[in-house]
Amino acid sequence: MEKEMLYHPLFIALLILLSIMLLVCLIRAVKGPRVADRLVAVNMMGTMVMVMISILALLLKEGYLVDICLIYAMISFLAVVVISKVYIGIYEERHHNLENGEGGDTDERS
Amino acid sequence: MNAVEWIKLIAGSIFLIIGIVIFFTELFGVFHFKYVLNRMHAAAMGDTLGISSCLIGLMIFSGLNFTTLKMFLIVVFLWFASPVSSHVLSRLEAATNEHLSDHCEIYEDVALLEQELSARRAENTMEKEGDPS
Repeated sequence: MEKEMLYHPLFIALLILLSIMLLVCLIRAVKGPRVADRLVAVNMMGTMVMVMISILALLLKEGYLVDICLIYAMISFLAVVVISKVYIGIYEERHHNLENGEGGDTDERS
Repeated sequence: MNAVEWIKLIAGSIFLIIGIVIFFTELFGVFHFKYVLNRMHAAAMGDTLGISSCLIGLMIFSGLNFTTLKMFLIVVFLWFASPVSSHVLSRLEAATNEHLSDHCEIYEDVALLEQELSARRAENTMEKEGDPS
């Protein structure tokens, strides 16, 4: 019983600190001037959420939450790689259109 | 609570607090630097060192069971995944930025870079030899 009293406040304090950092990361993701800035911020948020899920797994004594954390790591890695590749493809296609004078949207959202 | 449990609690808390401090440093770096390729350097630190020290702390708390093994698996996966995602992100930046030369020097050919580096090295040795000390 005494053990619970010590672990519980520590975990809650860490969760609160991590959520504040997560909000600051979100500010970076919204402000970031370029696409790569936003992707870096999203990657950081994924890492922090992984730590939060692991802490929750010990706090709630539900071991299977760590499995979800592993899957979260894989999906966030996949998301970063796929979004980067897709954005490079879109950029090159748009550039190609501009060079050929076929029109397309001229505003360079970066 | 006996002595072993106290030691577990203190060691785990120290690792967790180190991890949180590293996350804070990461955030500070991301807001401090001005360009993506610099920011990436700060952001990659939390992916490997931050999460591994946090999860080592949690492993010490949970003891020897399958949860510990899964946490170790997450750390190993991130050690492999984080450099790859950083590489892909920097390729995205280099491929889509038209004004990249404003932020860093670009060498189209590696031979040019090696030439310049060897010239710089020769200058340095000349200065050292010319210095009467």
